[in-house]
Amino acid sequence: MNPKPWWRKLGHASLLLVAAVYCVFPIYFMLVQSLKTAQEDVFGNPLIVLNPTFENFEELFERKGEVRGFVGSVLRRSYPFLDWLENTIVVFAGAVAVTLVASILAAYALGRLRPPGFRWWRRAIFAAYVVPHTILFIPLYQVVLRLHLDDNILALVLIYPTLALPFCVWILSAYFQHLPREVEESALVEGASRMTAFFRIILPMSRPVIVAAGIFALGTIASDFTLASVFLLSEHNQTIPAGLGTMEVALDELLAVAGINLMAIPVVLICAVFARGYVRGLTAAMVEGA
Amino acid sequence: MIARRRDIQLAYLLLAPALLLLLTVLAYPVGWEVWTSLTDLSPLKDGPPAFVGLENYGRFLADPEFWRAATVTVVYAAVTSVAKLALGVGFALLLARPFRGRALVFLAIFLPWAYPASVSVIGWYWTLSPPIPTAYSVFMGNVKYAVDSALGGGAWAFVSVTLFNIWRGSSFIGVFLLAGINAVPPELFECAVLESKSAWRRFWLVTVPLLKPFFALAVFLSLTMAFADLANVWMLTAGRIVFPVIGTHAYWLAVKGGQFGPASALSLMLVPFLLAVLLVLFRMFDPPERERA
Repeated sequence: MNPKPWWRKLGHASLLLVAAVYCVFPIYFMLVQSLKTAQEDVFGNPLIVLNPTFENFEELFERKGEVRGFVGSVLRRSYPFLDWLENTIVVFAGAVAVTLVASILAAYALGRLRPPGFRWWRRAIFAAYVVPHTILFIPLYQVVLRLHLDDNILALVLIYPTLALPFCVWILSAYFQHLPREVEESALVEGASRMTAFFRIILPMSRPVIVAAGIFALGTIASDFTLASVFLLSEHNQTIPAGLGTMEVALDELLAVAGINLMAIPVVLICAVFARGYVRGLTAAMVEGA
Repeated sequence: MIARRRDIQLAYLLLAPALLLLLTVLAYPVGWEVWTSLTDLSPLKDGPPAFVGLENYGRFLADPEFWRAATVTVVYAAVTSVAKLALGVGFALLLARPFRGRALVFLAIFLPWAYPASVSVIGWYWTLSPPIPTAYSVFMGNVKYAVDSALGGGAWAFVSVTLFNIWRGSSFIGVFLLAGINAVPPELFECAVLESKSAWRRFWLVTVPLLKPFFALAVFLSLTMAFADLANVWMLTAGRIVFPVIGTHAYWLAVKGGQFGPASALSLMLVPFLLAVLLVLFRMFDPPERERA
């Protein structure tokens, strides 16, 4: 192909710039706010921060039950942010792990073992996305009560996987189904059990797809706000989104923005590290022989 | 075939954890909803619930409020889905060919989805309707006033929900379609360039058919999220719902009105439509059969 004229290059570059700014601006804005002092929040330029400070972040960790100052005792509630952080890590790690294990097992069954009607099994599992979550929490609460998990983060470890599971089963089983039979057959012929063949051959092969499923699960789980606020009632059992939802925004705006960033940054970093694998995994899963 | 029979048994065993999760968390509650939608169950009423048949459904069909909510929901789902797809396709095409700094632009486009919506929705809420003392509250107040006076009270809140949905969804769809484009052998695009000069024609004749399964899956996920969108509408409008979607309407009936029966009926009304869409789309994104099982 002949080289592109300069105006097309410029057009391409400016499109890229517009797209990047559109995507990043809201995140940039929240990051800037969280680094501001109260004074700059009121009088400064909203788009930049002149004297960045971490005091909002520090305050999140400091305020645990201790009353600071006389006025503070009346106006400002304290937040057990460390508890929230711990709960969030446990819930997210647990839910992603449960999602991955359950969906890899189910996908192996559907993609490799192929019980009769496996296509319809897979479709039925995917059809779970049809269920609207609108008022589902009312009957779900009965289930949670019966399991004695009310106000317990384990309830979320149980509920969250269903948000991501159907998609994960779909892409993993599509990938397993694409793998040629010979892949594990040679191992089986040599006397290895199905389990050995699975752990030694199939699982290492499908790393990119498992990464894709994991990142999808993390992104989906981290975006829930409603379920967390419904099922975690007492302050010390809440996750960060549920906790931030209870904050008095008019008084603690900067603190809450700092909380948002504290939760978002680790999730974003994990996603960024695996971003390339995520795309590769989706490609491998959806396209035959890729 | 003993081996085959043992394989099938093993398959059911491996399916069990996933099915168990879905049964307890989704199937039982949905069953409850279906049953409740046929009764007048309410926490405000004593005595056992009475069976009322399809009355709850029938009442809504005669209710102008319902039709208003349904219209808003459909418009919301259509507008956000089209916008997300258009932007997503744009992102994917921008990133399709290598250029300097591609990794950075890719990360930028990946960010809105990777940034947890549970907290970014809170952030959007204050950015769009900030607490009074902040430096940008006057500016945002003016925007809100302008939009509300042009489109009616509460419009700004609804516009902001739409913007948020599109912002986050276009990122997911863009990355998803990029995964699709990556799978297409570059020779195919090169052949297409020789066949037709018009980039627009090439897009419809080559790119779209090749990416069909990706489009189908993306459209479906986008629709279900829009139809069931409760959390975003709720958070961004802080519960002051001026433009009800079916989800918030049902939530309002159940939580504020204690009318579990009608609320269940209302939230279930979307299910047949989504199922119908899904059945059509399955044909497009089902993994193709390569070897005979």
